Amino acid sequence: MKKSVIALAAAGMLSTFAPQAAQAVDIKIGFLPGVVDPFYQVMQKGVEAAAKDFGVEIVTQIPPTWGVEAQTPLLDALVARGDLDYIITAAVDSQQMIAPLQAASEAGVKIVGVDTFLGDGDYAEGPVTFPMTYIGSDNEAGGAFAAQGLAKAIGNKGKVYINSVTPNIASVELRVKGFKEEMAKHPDIIVIGPDYNDDDLNKATQQTAAVIEQNPDLAGVFGSNVFSAQGAGNAVVNAGLGGHVQVVAYDATKDAIEMMRLGQVSMALAQKPFDMGYLAVAFAVADHAGVTSLPKRLKTGFAIIDATNVDDPNFSKFIYQ
Amino acid sequence: MTDPVLSVRRLTKRFGGLTAVNAIDWDVYSGEVVALLGDNGAGKSTLIKCVSGVHLAEEGEIRFDGKVARFGRPIDARREGIETIYQDLALANNLDVPANIFLGREVKRRYFGGLMKVLDDRAMLKDAQVSLESLDIKFPSLTQPIESLSGGQRQAVAIARAIHWKARLMIMDEPTNNLGVPEQHKVLELIGKLRAQGVPVILITHTLPDVFAVADRIVVMHRGRKVAEKKTTETDTAELVQYMVGALDDFPDHQSAAQ
Amino acid sequence: MATPRASAAPLAADSISTTKRLIIAASRFWPWVFLGLLILFFIVSVPMFGGATFFTLRNSQNILVAITPVLLLGLGQTFVIISAGIDLSVGWVMSLGSVLAALAIRGTFNLGLPLPLAAASGFVAAVAGCMLVGFVNGVIIAKLKVPAFIVTLGTSFIVRGVAFLMSENTTVIGLPPGIRDYGNESLFYFVRGEGGGFYFLSKPDVSGEMLRQLDRILPWPVVITAVVVAIAIFVLRRTQFGRHTYAIGGNQQAALRTGIPVERHIIKLYVLSSATAAIAGFLSTLRYTAGSAVVGDPLLLSSIAAVIIGGVSLFGGAGSIVGTLIGSLIIAVLTTGLVMLNVQAFWQYIVVGVVVILAVLIDQSRDLIVGKSRTGGSQ
Repeated sequence: MKKSVIALAAAGMLSTFAPQAAQAVDIKIGFLPGVVDPFYQVMQKGVEAAAKDFGVEIVTQIPPTWGVEAQTPLLDALVARGDLDYIITAAVDSQQMIAPLQAASEAGVKIVGVDTFLGDGDYAEGPVTFPMTYIGSDNEAGGAFAAQGLAKAIGNKGKVYINSVTPNIASVELRVKGFKEEMAKHPDIIVIGPDYNDDDLNKATQQTAAVIEQNPDLAGVFGSNVFSAQGAGNAVVNAGLGGHVQVVAYDATKDAIEMMRLGQVSMALAQKPFDMGYLAVAFAVADHAGVTSLPKRLKTGFAIIDATNVDDPNFSKFIYQ
Repeated sequence: MTDPVLSVRRLTKRFGGLTAVNAIDWDVYSGEVVALLGDNGAGKSTLIKCVSGVHLAEEGEIRFDGKVARFGRPIDARREGIETIYQDLALANNLDVPANIFLGREVKRRYFGGLMKVLDDRAMLKDAQVSLESLDIKFPSLTQPIESLSGGQRQAVAIARAIHWKARLMIMDEPTNNLGVPEQHKVLELIGKLRAQGVPVILITHTLPDVFAVADRIVVMHRGRKVAEKKTTETDTAELVQYMVGALDDFPDHQSAAQ
Repeated sequence: MATPRASAAPLAADSISTTKRLIIAASRFWPWVFLGLLILFFIVSVPMFGGATFFTLRNSQNILVAITPVLLLGLGQTFVIISAGIDLSVGWVMSLGSVLAALAIRGTFNLGLPLPLAAASGFVAAVAGCMLVGFVNGVIIAKLKVPAFIVTLGTSFIVRGVAFLMSENTTVIGLPPGIRDYGNESLFYFVRGEGGGFYFLSKPDVSGEMLRQLDRILPWPVVITAVVVAIAIFVLRRTQFGRHTYAIGGNQQAALRTGIPVERHIIKLYVLSSATAAIAGFLSTLRYTAGSAVVGDPLLLSSIAAVIIGGVSLFGGAGSIVGTLIGSLIIAVLTTGLVMLNVQAFWQYIVVGVVVILAVLIDQSRDLIVGKSRTGGSQ
């Protein structure tokens, strides 16, 4: 709390001496991601960068665990502040968070969805239309990319295993769907799983280890988000199979990239959480300024990182760190 | 003499190879205090537990108020009016005096034609006060948890509970242990009051002065058998000790047939 | 032989002094005081640092809604801990209740039952199914004499597995949309500002700006919880069942000897605990219009913290429902206040942890003053 007093004083002093770096926009935006993890940390950097560029104030609260009972009280409290115009949020459940977020919307706080979505993600024609927009990856396409990469890495035949989070996160489920559909095009590849780890790194490791035990001929593993990929990768390495069992990671964390350098992960799909965060703030600012032609769906892209470009700064800048 | 309240004939209790209670014959009459003496392992506690329903004896017969009694559980004995006060008092320290007196037998009021039963704390408090008054016991507060009472006061609560439920026979196991002298006095006084009300008291104790202070008769046990039964006025400490260590035995041939 | 009647005076003078009795009373009221100070702190600090007002109508209702699951879990837990036991399965039982309720509501509605009956069937399914769990807990604890800690931990894993099984590892969705109103609408409404007013039962037909000014007062989950809390307070304080619960916690041996059917009572306690957890799960299903096998996960420890802060001794024999209510409020006020102060919400864990330890220390020092001896066994 002392920090903010000092900051206020400093800002006060600066404003009398220096010209404004940017026109300060008088809106307050809340940022409520899903949980504490590297992906959302990078997203937060994007949010804060945009906040600085646009001169808006951000109020951030990060749930300590992934679940509606962790996210909803924070949401309600943010709304109760009464001073937020927008909330940028990654809803932790596609169905359960509809009611609380709609209540927030009705209270006058506009919802900008990032990374995950409510209902079916189609806020124009779908069952849920109150959020302003959904900014996130094309998850199904991402899953397909992952499948293509893994298929190539294992020579188009063999057993592969999916380790995922929970069936209740529609965005992650789309990745699994995209992966499976793409793999169906390869008749010599058998898909095992998915197992669900509830976004728990240890569980992901244990589940993958068990599958490795039971399937000595396992050729590849796909981890569908940060913790799934990391955990699955750990299990492969612990079993001494790094480099033999190909691992494809959705979400490029530092650990995943480390493993890539050691030859243990063959491909990592980096989403662009920085973009998501930055664009979310930009959307809010634009909406506040009166822009009405904002799209209800903005697909952010991927950087596909593998051993060939991991040291290329054009690609390595998308690693979550 | 009138009929005994409690009558025990050839009562025998074995635990495996050990005969803890060996063919005990014993009568306890209304309005008397009988002290049950014996060294550790003499079988006093076991005998009392057979009478109060904790154990079931192998042989022998217990008659209570003239009728044969078979107490399978402690609650059966209690229902007949045999109240036992153990060393740990069986009191709930977190409850107050009336709550303890009525523990397990709470007074309720019915509402809505019997659908709802609510504790009648006021009635229980009043009843408790009456009982305590009859024993001339006063507490600083009847609505505080009894954990804040002294040892002697808690003994008084246990005794008051037994009195309240119209005990027909009171069994007390080492009641003055861990009490200061004035409190011991008070407890003995209460025992006297019980006798005055016609309630017979069986007193298990190691404290010989207590025996001479309050008991009318004395029964001594040694290794499961009754070795002496005397009026208090007809014996002294030295002689009692002889009986307790087995140096004296008034009933040398009296034992269970299976021995 | 009887000593003369000199003693109309109280037995022995070493019962505790008035000062000590005051300290004991103070130790019972400190949660209230702490809650009051906490609220005062936020009322003062929030406008200074956050720019908002802390004690608004909306915020007060938010807090009531927020305490609902923790409080319900804490209700049964209070009874159980007073009896010197503990129920570690409540979080997962709540999840099971949520799943059972969702399946029942969806199933019966699709069979043609009108919405209110379908909702009621959800309630029945949740409570009945979870009471079975409580029964199993109680029987193993009471009859087989296995420590409550171990039993409830074990059953919680089984319950969790069953919940996942029944929900097929996903949220149970597809509930009739009307259910959402049961979980989110309220007894009263208040529209702030111009043209506003107070409404009872019927939601005012507002939109746009007026909709923003709409506050929901006493949402249905809060009303239901209030009723359950009132019943719990009554049972614990004014019935034989409550009295015996305290007795068993204070001295289980004594309770046994005075004829209290201890085994049966213990079983009832764990059934009760699972029942309140089931109600929490049912309300969660209404609120989120879905059943979830993980919804109760983060709540077990919070419910135990609320119970301890509220003054229930982990050794049994003491505590109250009102205390648990205060404990739940402290946790919820803390979370809300921190968010409004723009402080990261995880600080609440640190504060709650400190308060819990404080609560236990106060409880211990109280026992020290009284010179309490621990009698009777715990489960």
